Amino acid sequence: MSETTPLDDQIAAVQAEIDALPLSTPDEAEAFRVRFLGRKSGAVTDLFAQIGTVAPERRREMGQRLNGLKQAAQARLDAALAALTTGTEAGATDLDLTLPGRVPAPVERGSLHVLTQTLADIQEIFRSFGFAVARGPEIEDDWHNFSALNFPPDHPARDMQDTFFLEPPPPEGRGVLLRTHTSPVQVRVLEQQPPPIRVIAPGRVFRNEAISYKSYCLFHQVEGLVVDEGVSFADLKAMLTAFARAFFGASDGPAREARMRFRPSFFPFTEPSAEVDVWWADDALPGGGRWMEILGSGMVDPNVLTNVGVDPERYTGYAFGMGVERLAMLRHGIDDIRLLYENDVRFLKQF
Amino acid sequence: MNISLNWLSDYVAHGLDADALAERLTMAGLEVEGVTTTGPSLDGVVVGHVLDVRPHSNADRLRVCDVDLGPHTPEGEASVQIVCGAPNVAAGQRVPVATVGTELMLPARDGSGLAPVTIKKGKIRGEVSRGMICAEDELGLGTDHDGILVLPDDAEVGQPLADHLRLHGALPGDAVLDVAITPNRPDATSHIGVARDVAALTGAPLTRPDVDVPPVGGDVDGLVSVTIETPEDCPRFVGMVVRGVTVGESPDWLKDRLVSVGLRPISNVVDVTNFVMLETGQPLHAYDLDRLADARVVVTAAEGGETFTTLDGVERTLPAGTVMVADGEGYVGVAGVMGGRDSEVTERTTTVFLEGAYWNPSAIRRAAKALGLQTDASYRFERGADPTGQPAAVARAAALVAETAGGEIVGGRIDEHPAPYEPRTVTLRPSRVARVLGMSVPEDEIVRLLEAIGFGVEAPGPALDAFAEAALMQGQGAASAATEAAETALTVTVPPFRPDVEREVDVIEEVARLWGYDRLPTPASTPVPLVPASDTPSARLLAGVRQRLAALGFREIATNSLVSRPTAEAFADAAWTGLDGTPVDTLNPISQEMAALRPTLLPGLLGVAAYNQARGAGALRLFEAGRVYRRTAGAGTAVEGYHEHTSLVMGMSGPAATAAWDADGRDVDVYDLKGVVLDVLAALGVADVTETPRPAPDALTAYALDLAVGDTRLGSIGRVADAVADAADLQAPLFVAELDWDAVAALSSGAPPRYQAISRSPVAERDLAVVVPEGTPAGPLLQTIRQAGGPLLQDVRLFDLYRGDRIPEGTKSLAFALRFGADRTLRDQEVDGRVRRVVKSLEAEHGATLRA
Repeated sequence: MSETTPLDDQIAAVQAEIDALPLSTPDEAEAFRVRFLGRKSGAVTDLFAQIGTVAPERRREMGQRLNGLKQAAQARLDAALAALTTGTEAGATDLDLTLPGRVPAPVERGSLHVLTQTLADIQEIFRSFGFAVARGPEIEDDWHNFSALNFPPDHPARDMQDTFFLEPPPPEGRGVLLRTHTSPVQVRVLEQQPPPIRVIAPGRVFRNEAISYKSYCLFHQVEGLVVDEGVSFADLKAMLTAFARAFFGASDGPAREARMRFRPSFFPFTEPSAEVDVWWADDALPGGGRWMEILGSGMVDPNVLTNVGVDPERYTGYAFGMGVERLAMLRHGIDDIRLLYENDVRFLKQF
Repeated sequence: MNISLNWLSDYVAHGLDADALAERLTMAGLEVEGVTTTGPSLDGVVVGHVLDVRPHSNADRLRVCDVDLGPHTPEGEASVQIVCGAPNVAAGQRVPVATVGTELMLPARDGSGLAPVTIKKGKIRGEVSRGMICAEDELGLGTDHDGILVLPDDAEVGQPLADHLRLHGALPGDAVLDVAITPNRPDATSHIGVARDVAALTGAPLTRPDVDVPPVGGDVDGLVSVTIETPEDCPRFVGMVVRGVTVGESPDWLKDRLVSVGLRPISNVVDVTNFVMLETGQPLHAYDLDRLADARVVVTAAEGGETFTTLDGVERTLPAGTVMVADGEGYVGVAGVMGGRDSEVTERTTTVFLEGAYWNPSAIRRAAKALGLQTDASYRFERGADPTGQPAAVARAAALVAETAGGEIVGGRIDEHPAPYEPRTVTLRPSRVARVLGMSVPEDEIVRLLEAIGFGVEAPGPALDAFAEAALMQGQGAASAATEAAETALTVTVPPFRPDVEREVDVIEEVARLWGYDRLPTPASTPVPLVPASDTPSARLLAGVRQRLAALGFREIATNSLVSRPTAEAFADAAWTGLDGTPVDTLNPISQEMAALRPTLLPGLLGVAAYNQARGAGALRLFEAGRVYRRTAGAGTAVEGYHEHTSLVMGMSGPAATAAWDADGRDVDVYDLKGVVLDVLAALGVADVTETPRPAPDALTAYALDLAVGDTRLGSIGRVADAVADAADLQAPLFVAELDWDAVAALSSGAPPRYQAISRSPVAERDLAVVVPEGTPAGPLLQTIRQAGGPLLQDVRLFDLYRGDRIPEGTKSLAFALRFGADRTLRDQEVDGRVRRVVKSLEAEHGATLRA
């Protein structure tokens, strides 16, 4: 008789488990099935994978023993399931689902996603400055996402945002797309209510870009829109400066001083347009830090107001948009955007 | 786009170093994303003044020098002592000195090239030496090692050598700025274009190269003919001919220019066209005239479906309407995008036809998109080239071809000009500038800034005064009319290279960016319109529920809205989602894994559960709130034909409680999740929820319980079906629930609850156990008890479920705790009567018998 191998011991252990595990409810049956017969990680499946570790002359014998083990597990499961399915329909549960539920105590402390927390902070700051919140659809039409926002057809400005278009293609479809920014909510708000308007619009947006540590196929933005008589670029500077001080100044992070700069940029729906950078202190860098872009902004382009029937001679306004991921990553030192969507519990529980 | 600082200096002497220039451009709207410096580092090398030279006492070939380093001379000393071996060092010279601590690239001792050496304070043959007087080669400025570099006598003592050389235009190396050009700035896609902004920002003059533009017609007319069949696509076409050229390598200066901005030199003729494009922003094309059939050029449109081989050797199928350049036989180029193989300039070319055209930006963009071909030319044309810039660019190129490839420029030029450019004027009110920017920019400053970037500005005409008078006479808007009258509206002529500037506000932006955003005020307060700061009910309630779920130990996850098409199909199950209609597919997916929109949040949850189970997570309680999507035949939610709503998914697996010193552990079951879901609904005030079990396995669930209020479906709770769990590689049973959050939120009244008086009378409690057949569900019994109990029954609770040998086989016992109360003291008979009614109803409706 050949000597026993580690595999022999494991087979004996699994066999003992198969015989011992309770099998009186359908959920226990499912747990049993996954435990032993699961396609990828079932215990018997695992043992089959180890067959290469035994001496070649014993492999045939081992294979037979494992088949026996598998059949034993399957037989016990089938018998249990047969006993459990006394109902009229095959496989139907005999659990009384109308029994009252119970609220279990937490096993671990729960957590909100870091994006939710960041967004809540942003919303709270703007709420304190008197902003309402508006929402819009993620599936948008060309008018709201582009045309009404002063993106001319066949204009390179449309290349600034790589767009996912949706089936069906024109002519059957009408160029329906996944919104590339939250700015279409500006248009929807202006279509629905007259000035004065002071609103933010948070939400998910999509870009058809290669996925990497710094870009994902979707992210979240917070749009802001203020339209009233006498609103100027100075008001925009004041508001966004106040926001950055509140958001970064409250933290102890590298941007706590919230040193900012506004520099000219271009967005089709604002004129003049500005990008806003905050100074990110980092002693390891020459110059003691660097400018980090946190948002885009500008005075609402008169064409946008005209498109929704607001008189641009009487009313002026400003708009801004910021990326929630970017702010969350800056604030918490997260260096790979994909972590936010991987949902590893060991990541989630840190926030 | 890459801008070489040396090249830029050909057009503007700005006197700034690369970093300072990058900062100025960035703050004026030309964002510099990076600066790459080439050439030697001269950090630490300063101009020294040799005060005294004496022989070294221990070495014949060495001298000991006293050198004044200006501010770099150590405090309290007049000079530093440096030992020098060069024969040409002499008192009175200005020389480059590497101060102590400077790193120089010097020949390695083993002769294997250059190695970094740090200059230290030391003794050379017994004499102190603090620094090094350098030769040209030691600084990387040249190859001369015959002696030290002697600087002009006017060199400022102590000045960094780099600054001295820059002032004299002798600083070696270059810096290349990576400028991000926004789509509104086609004018900045060239060195002259950027130089124009630099000139405006620094006040230095803009110098353009001298160009001899020949008159229209002349000898060239007899050599080649140009016909424009589609004038809307080609408002202007300019051509010149250079003959007798020798195609070959470009001279070094030309190659250096192109290499500095990342272009590969090809041949003198091609390099010249690229050089002029990067200089002026006007893309050019060079044809071998002898290879143009019939010496004809025709601008036309493709019929669609033809094939054409572009310069890069790729055969392309042309979409209908593509603007093409043809000769007497066929196509020779995709207009404004890329030329063709058969007419390109080769080593055998002797006669060059230079094309400079203005193409319709939309036409070029459509062609480039359709062909999937973006080139330096199409990039500029689709943004809008200068519609008047063709003659100068072509003439400049012709001159450079003649200079670098020899040959003779044929007199005259072809200039087909079906749609001449009309200059645009815009009225600019300084009062409007103030209203938009929040401060008054002085009018003379406005004029100065605009003129610096090529805008024409004219003083006001009388028309406005007449308007103001009329307004005053009508007796309305007197105040605003007076303001209008008091101001001078300026007439601004937009330069042709700024196609983006069409309106007053565009001009205001130009004023603002040149004036500087930093100089605009940042007031301490700003008015607030009095509009309530509400959010949608769905989002507001969700914020509360997130907190509630987190308190119950759930973790929030965020998953991709995009899933694979098979996943979307498999999960678009009406039994689970309550929605008919096919999933939404994208037309241009990044990958097959992300080609459709999720019809439910379930696939994301399954993925996260499997991911974490595989990494050893035990108890998993997860939730996600997000949009789910469907194609619909109906009107859709916001966009016709598409439905989306906010969904809330929850999942539990693993232990419901871990074993502790005083408690046993157990795994979660469906009742744990049911309790959580109904708790969430109860917290929102959603009442009268009906429960419909689906005990049989379904596409997605092993069993499920559907929840509704009246006709409104809320969602389902269940266990993930075995096949689905296997496909997702789940390692433990997963219980899931998903709610249509928008439907739930609509049912939550949101109205503040009305106070009800608290009864001061005692309550009466009764327990009741009944036996029912095994298959009888308990939920309907609770329902019956509530109905039969009437208003006096305040609460009922199932507190025991028993199966076993004390009751008949095939039956189960259900025990309920009933609580009766009213705003008065109830009599026993009254309560007993109610209980009897309850029992009767249970007997009648469910075949229940009171347990003995």
